[in-house]
Amino acid sequence: MAWETVIGLEVHVQLRTRTKMFCGNRTTFGDPPNTNVCPVCLGLPGALPVPNAEAIRLAVRGALALGCTVHETSVFARKNYFYPDLPKGYQISQFDRPLATGGSVSFDSPERGRMQVGITRLHVEEDAGKLLHDRFPGKTAVDLNRAGTPLAEIVSEPDLRSPAEARAYLTTLRQILVYAGVSECSMEQGSLRVDANLSIRPAGTSRLGTKTEVKNMNSFANVERALEVERARQIALVESGRSVEQVTLLFNAGTGQVKPTRSKEESHDYRYFPDPDLPPLVLTPAWIAEQRAALPELPEAKRARLEAAHALSAKDARVITAEVGLAHYFESVVDAGADPKTAANWVMGEVMTTYNESGSFPVPAARLAELIGLVREGVVSHQAAKRVYSELAQSSDQDPRTAAARLGLVQVSDQGALTGWVDEVLAAHPDEVARFRDGETKLMAFFVGQVMKRSKGKADPKGVQPVLQERLTVAADR
Amino acid sequence: MSGAATARETGARLAKAQPLNAVLHWSQELLDAEGARVDAMPAGSSLAAMPVALKDNIVTVEQPTTCGSRILEGYVSPYNATVVERLRAAGAMIAAKTNLDEFAMGSSTEHSAFGRVKHPLDPSRVPGGSSGGSAALVAAGVVPAALGSETGGSVRQPASFCGVVGVKPSYGRVSRYGLVAFGSSLDCVSVFGRTVDDAARVLSTISGSDPLDATTVDRAPMRVPKALPDLRGLTVGVPKEYFPADLDAGVSTALRRTTEQIQGLGGEVRLVSLPNSAYAVPTYYIIAPAEAAANLARYDGVRYGKRRIGPEGDIRSLYRTTRGEGFGEEVRRRILVGTYVLSAGYYDAYYKKAQQVRALIADDFRKVFDSGIDLLLTPTTPTPAFKAGEKTEDPVAMYLADVFVCPMSLAGLPAMSLPVGRSEGLPIGAQLVAPHFGEELLLAAAQVLERTMDPLAEVR
Amino acid sequence: MNIGLDEVLHVAKLAELAVQESEFRRLVEQMNRIVNYVATLDEVPGDRIAEPFLAGPQSVKLREDVEAAVPLARPPAAMAPEFADGFFLVPRHGAMEDQ
Repeated sequence: MAWETVIGLEVHVQLRTRTKMFCGNRTTFGDPPNTNVCPVCLGLPGALPVPNAEAIRLAVRGALALGCTVHETSVFARKNYFYPDLPKGYQISQFDRPLATGGSVSFDSPERGRMQVGITRLHVEEDAGKLLHDRFPGKTAVDLNRAGTPLAEIVSEPDLRSPAEARAYLTTLRQILVYAGVSECSMEQGSLRVDANLSIRPAGTSRLGTKTEVKNMNSFANVERALEVERARQIALVESGRSVEQVTLLFNAGTGQVKPTRSKEESHDYRYFPDPDLPPLVLTPAWIAEQRAALPELPEAKRARLEAAHALSAKDARVITAEVGLAHYFESVVDAGADPKTAANWVMGEVMTTYNESGSFPVPAARLAELIGLVREGVVSHQAAKRVYSELAQSSDQDPRTAAARLGLVQVSDQGALTGWVDEVLAAHPDEVARFRDGETKLMAFFVGQVMKRSKGKADPKGVQPVLQERLTVAADR
Repeated sequence: MSGAATARETGARLAKAQPLNAVLHWSQELLDAEGARVDAMPAGSSLAAMPVALKDNIVTVEQPTTCGSRILEGYVSPYNATVVERLRAAGAMIAAKTNLDEFAMGSSTEHSAFGRVKHPLDPSRVPGGSSGGSAALVAAGVVPAALGSETGGSVRQPASFCGVVGVKPSYGRVSRYGLVAFGSSLDCVSVFGRTVDDAARVLSTISGSDPLDATTVDRAPMRVPKALPDLRGLTVGVPKEYFPADLDAGVSTALRRTTEQIQGLGGEVRLVSLPNSAYAVPTYYIIAPAEAAANLARYDGVRYGKRRIGPEGDIRSLYRTTRGEGFGEEVRRRILVGTYVLSAGYYDAYYKKAQQVRALIADDFRKVFDSGIDLLLTPTTPTPAFKAGEKTEDPVAMYLADVFVCPMSLAGLPAMSLPVGRSEGLPIGAQLVAPHFGEELLLAAAQVLERTMDPLAEVR
Repeated sequence: MNIGLDEVLHVAKLAELAVQESEFRRLVEQMNRIVNYVATLDEVPGDRIAEPFLAGPQSVKLREDVEAAVPLARPPAAMAPEFADGFFLVPRHGAMEDQ
């Protein structure tokens, strides 16, 4: 039996604001527990929510970046349930009148090539606090610093057909939202969370199977793993004559398994109703248009433009634009005068390595452009330039020429010096000279190598060859 | 009088009024501290050492806030309600926290976990509710003004029963930040006063938009109205649905006298109709409990208040026992009704329907005010104060005590009760209703009536 | 319209309210009384779209994204029924792992 997998993803991203969704507490990470709290996010008697303008702005930008229709009027709703990390006993979210609906994300599926996933909706809501179950024996500890943090929830249509495809979608979704400046989208820091819904059905049929919900995945790779495991589990169930139950499962990264949550959750009757503490959110078309205009260039557009403007290969353009920081850096290096092809190679090489390690660009773009210029002029060799780059990355804002000189890497192009070394090499290798003159012209490479050795790498290889050529020929004429 | 002297005087009165059980928290130390604080303020503050009592669902840093409930026993708020900050900034002295129906749910103040409040004129009767404690203190002459809260009439109704002025502002006029929420789309901090002027001055002080409350309207605070010489030029509507044939004889007579007074003062009286007001009480008892069920979910024993854990010892047991034992019967009933009407399958039939009817009720008022009516006049309550225990058996009987005041709450309109006479010794109130943000006209007209009517006069 | 005990208990569970067996009968009676009373709204023709009636502002005013939290006169520790090392404590919940 061939099975088709149907996957939909719900992604929660933390909006990049200074303060919480409904009160003026900071949203910083890692403060001592229950210190970024106030009457509102503690759920104290008498407290009231007031929405954060920047959170709305960022959510709208995110919605526009995902091709959604932003609704001029949307309504905050109370989602009612009891849990220790939910101070009010309800979460302020949006229900039947969300901020945005009907978008789509284009991405490259590993199986199906270029494709689109529908975005059902994007809405804003507040985050819950954090629970720690193992800190005190027999107790659960509650920290409400995170309670009230602004989130955007992005729900995809169940258009994904494999775990790998789901992962590719997530990578692109994240890229778009980071480009748009909406969220840091870091799963490690908790600013991006994924819940997945998966069901199976016989290939070629259209009725949806019972879906399960998979949670607690802390990386895109683990999303893929978890979904593979869950797909296999469902297939095994059905093929053995049993049926899939609608359950919520937690992924365990250590064991690589999914397990149903122990607590049989009471029926999820959230009793949504419009929050009477919050009048409707009304946005004017003009304001929405302003947000659209304020959107930075998004990944697809940037990739296409760089490819065209700088004659980059499709592959190179894709690599460079994968991270917005990298793309900006590349553009700055080109703007500072470096030729695009060389700049691209540097960015995809040294720069990307440093960025992946440190998350930063220690060498200012203008300096890299200078360095690239030095290589083009022949002041340093490409090999030497890499060492200069490392040196520049260590300490702030040295100029490349001085750094190269200090490292003794400045190439020597002076004719006199080059001639001196060439003559020494030729004198030291009379047999090879003779063989060359007899016709073994490929010995040129040998001589160049020897000159480089004798000069301890300082000779400018481009200048060496003509001198050798001249010296070897002159002797022949004698 | 100085703050210090006021503190001593008010303390003595509070001590004497103890049998009423109108007060949940007061102390001479705190009164003296308030007195010293206002005496140190520069001269000319608008409420100059006025002692004001607060219903115990308005949070204060210095005194506990229990909302008349065991679930908040021992709770002391770490912040002050906005109305408290504004009163104090104007030189008022916070005198006491008053007794109330638990979480403001009730019409008699018999549903407090800390005992019922007694009517100042007849201890066998109720002062009304839910702001019965505040009403009783003002009626007993302990303080000239007090804050209460209204969701469905909880200040006007006790004002009428106790023979004092009770004013509910337009919804959105006064900040709810620090008013413990019951029915968020209905709740209004409201004012009791010995006189219309007392109430007007306090209302003016506490009103005005608040950045901490997104449901306040962007309008300047209400100003204390200029005195009117008479009611010439005023057209007062009398809605026929509010004068049923079986209306209490004393109430009926008092209202007739009031109408005659208005005409005598140059005002015109016209018969009007508010047909959907008949549905106000059932509409209210869907919307208010639904909102309350969500608003009271935060009382879970996790972060504050009195925690109780049952024998199972797990988190569910913490919730169910804290709430099951901490909430009184009426509160539990309303939470259950509210949860029921919002639950899957019932939302459309009840909550959604109630919102539709609410809009119809509000529309009735709008049409009438648009047709040349300046103010409406109705009885505040169908009867004078009833006896304790008379309505506690049947919850619906208690709900019907609010039949004349509830519609204005649903419509968000400003309304007040003015004492206009007595029937067999018990006070009777007349209700005046203004269009949205018409508090100034409302109070000005009431003041004219106040000048010319004797609230102590027997009507029959 | 008749609400049975099962339904009342289900609602009590949703609302996290413990109900004693001794209260069952009275509670069911009263719930029915109240719900049947409010159901008189069925008489009103329901043809309008139900936008929630807004007595206050028609649209929400937003707050600028600047730090401005209301300061607490007392820290959470002062109010909490159980508190240790900066955390509120409750009985351990199920077998959920640390998030």
